[in-house]
Amino acid sequence: MAFQYIGKNIIRPDLVGKVTGKVRFLDDIRLPGMLYAEFLRPEHAHARILSIDVSAAEAAPGVVKVVTGKGCEFRYGDNIRDLVPMAVDRVTYIGQPVAAVVARSAREAREAVAAIRVEYEPLPALVDARDALAEGAVPIHPDSGEFWHLPGIEPVAGTNIANRYTLRKGDVERGFAESAVVVEGEFNYPFGSSAAIEPHGAIVWFHEDDTVEAWSSSICPFIIREELARVYGLPVGDVRVHIPELGGCFGYKSDITVEQTVAWVASFVPGRPVKWIASRQEDFLSTLIGHGIRTRIKLGAARDGSFLALRTEILHSTGASADTGVHVLIAATHNSTGTYEFPHCLLDGYSVYTNTPPVGAYRGYGHQETQLAMERMVEILARKLEMDPRKLREKNYLRAGSVHSLGERLYASNGNVAECARLTLEALESAPLPPEDDRYLYGRGFAALMKTPKGAPFSSKSCYLKFNVDGSVCINMGGAEVGQGLRNTARLIAAECLKIDPSRIRLYTEIDTQFSPWEWQTIGSMFTVQGGKAVQRACERAIAKLKETAAVVLRVETDRLDYDGEHVFVKNDPARRLTVASLARGYTYPDGKTVGEVVHTTSDARLPGQTNPDENGQGTMGMSYTFGAQGCDIRIEKATGGIEVLHFVSTFDVGRVINPVQIRGQVAGGVMMGIGATLCEELKFDRDGRALNPHFRSYRFPTIKDAPLKQTIRFVETPGEIGPFGARGIGEHPVIGVAPAILNAVYAAVGVDFYEIPLTPDKIKAALAGMGG
Amino acid sequence: MSETVTFKVNGQDCALEVEKSEKLIDVLRLRLGLTGTKRGCDDASCGACTVLVNGEARKSCVSPASRLGGAEVLTVEGLARGKRLHPVQEALMESGAVQCGYCTPGIVMELCALFAADPDAGREAILGALEKHLCRCTGYEAILEGALAAQKRLRG
Repeated sequence: MAFQYIGKNIIRPDLVGKVTGKVRFLDDIRLPGMLYAEFLRPEHAHARILSIDVSAAEAAPGVVKVVTGKGCEFRYGDNIRDLVPMAVDRVTYIGQPVAAVVARSAREAREAVAAIRVEYEPLPALVDARDALAEGAVPIHPDSGEFWHLPGIEPVAGTNIANRYTLRKGDVERGFAESAVVVEGEFNYPFGSSAAIEPHGAIVWFHEDDTVEAWSSSICPFIIREELARVYGLPVGDVRVHIPELGGCFGYKSDITVEQTVAWVASFVPGRPVKWIASRQEDFLSTLIGHGIRTRIKLGAARDGSFLALRTEILHSTGASADTGVHVLIAATHNSTGTYEFPHCLLDGYSVYTNTPPVGAYRGYGHQETQLAMERMVEILARKLEMDPRKLREKNYLRAGSVHSLGERLYASNGNVAECARLTLEALESAPLPPEDDRYLYGRGFAALMKTPKGAPFSSKSCYLKFNVDGSVCINMGGAEVGQGLRNTARLIAAECLKIDPSRIRLYTEIDTQFSPWEWQTIGSMFTVQGGKAVQRACERAIAKLKETAAVVLRVETDRLDYDGEHVFVKNDPARRLTVASLARGYTYPDGKTVGEVVHTTSDARLPGQTNPDENGQGTMGMSYTFGAQGCDIRIEKATGGIEVLHFVSTFDVGRVINPVQIRGQVAGGVMMGIGATLCEELKFDRDGRALNPHFRSYRFPTIKDAPLKQTIRFVETPGEIGPFGARGIGEHPVIGVAPAILNAVYAAVGVDFYEIPLTPDKIKAALAGMGG
Repeated sequence: MSETVTFKVNGQDCALEVEKSEKLIDVLRLRLGLTGTKRGCDDASCGACTVLVNGEARKSCVSPASRLGGAEVLTVEGLARGKRLHPVQEALMESGAVQCGYCTPGIVMELCALFAADPDAGREAILGALEKHLCRCTGYEAILEGALAAQKRLRG
């Protein structure tokens, strides 16, 4: 298929405002009468609050109000209502808000916070799921049995289990009994931070007329609107949420979190907007963090390498609330098969309450954690079978006709992982790996990967499209632009469908629930697929409307008409035509009489037929899979143990490339995030749950010097059945195979199997020393 | 303790009473409304708040405003001439070096300072300058490409 705009490097129109510093981020917003909130955070990760003395803070200069959680009677959450806007009588993690000062300036608020006195009775802190599950562990939420929750998700009262998800396919015991070779291992993917450079934050304004207005650096304005309305007893339409430009997300700005806290505070000063922007430390500890996933894996195979059985047990240290993390674990669990078909599976995942900040979405959404385990185990199994790991993988890849752990049958249109693997290895092997020298050891590693979207079955993206009187087009959607360029993606899809130049199509800037069409939230690498589909549908409807009016004016049936972007014309008599501009507001005859509808349309799109898991944990929950393969050449400096990535190769079957520069940016950025997690990033807590490194100075965030010296990025385009022009999601996938590819390369270089990340130089040095090297 | 300091911002004279503890970023963002300078960490580790002070790249989140007397400050708002963007801005846009754009103003200013001081800065010097800036979106590849394209453009 020849495209006019799809697949071309058509530059994003939203960049001028970004390079000139003129686009408006949350912290750039100043409202009349605005007040500033700052928070007191606890000294203990787990404690009873005995008393809070706010008298000195109340008397401090500039202070308007001091707020605590006292009297807060609601909990909130989409899946399990286990979140509170502010600690009520106990604190459960170190970044939790305990009290807030509202003042004329942020500085005055900060100074007054220091004057608040709190008396605590410390409780034992549980910072890892293993401790929280131990016999006799204090339940972090003694009342968890009373929490409202969605059907199918259920805290186990009196324990720290927030939810258990089990997937059964076939008969796993039979599978292991039939296996000639069984390998086992336990892997750890520790806590990390999404760490967007723009910190999270919110502004909330309770108006005197009982309406509420909020601004947030969030990707889910409609969830914020619905939850604020529910909690404050308002009709949903009386809450208006604005989303300005976002300075990155990577997961943690999904779901309603800090907005409830700022709203609670603002509800005490009705009539005045209250702003809070996280400090970097708060961004690390008082929003959502990532990962915290341990994977126990046992894999059984026949002598010829056919995979027969998979048993995984996944423990998630989900933090003090599980609402935002419960689906991360479900995705981690059912995708722990990686890109392979297993006839027999028993996959068990536990979301466990811990005294750490709540875990939420993080680019990759549970996939990189368990596929680290799978892709390392496959290498270990290949050694035991004395088989080329490439052949072992090829034998077991999901392909047309395979049945995924979820019970879903795969089709050729789901993509081709074997081809991704072939292209990745071809690029990697185009140059030989240097042999060991005085200074360095060299290794080459590989990993295959897959990701399914994890969203609610009702998750939709909507589009409002209108033709203007000059034939140009405006498109309004609810998709949160976090940097990925989704507005340009929508624009190019519309240009292709409408056959008009992209410069004639104007996309929305901010999202405003008062005007924007509904979208659940912009998550799961699903905007191109769902949002793009919605655009396609809106365009088709608009063209149909143009034709309906033209049919009246030209006195022909609509199916005799065609459209070329400028005109609607009679197919076999193109001279009989009308301009699109003349039809945009209905057609006006010379005498003024006007016929036909205004050409504006709405549409939406969701993943067709998505379901919740059934009693076996299976269901239609994947659908839009994206498969890929990643590999790398690394070198390890013997003296320091430092790892450098010489060449990183990624190939994804994305169905259709919409914009080459943007998609390359998604992959290069994702690979870098994966390298950060693999080599240096870890958010650390001590045994008492206190954070050890909540600053960029101590949380090692990758810089340009950590980037691969060479990066190859390739795409396979097997058109999918769901997305526009066959496109599939790509936003999260590039992080998934990075850790196993590097760890497999490390094994190739030094012959040591590593089971956890980050692989810091000290760990490598210790391993080299252990080898007498 | 406050004192009056007189300095120039984007070519315009400016006299302000500043507190001893007040940082340049707050003067720019809160008092002058120049919100193009971004706050990312407050401890000089992310680079988003970088501006030029007398032609040198400085992290405004740790620069005391009280020491600005007589200085010439240039922020991202001062670069474009009307609608004509600075070559660094153009090159970063065209190279795909901008995704969310939050780290961008700092990087733009850093590169402006670097190429003004050393139009022939080598790869290592460019990497050294960019190493002071954290970007979560791009993986840096396109930023380096944009920097090299900007340098080429500036040399003419």
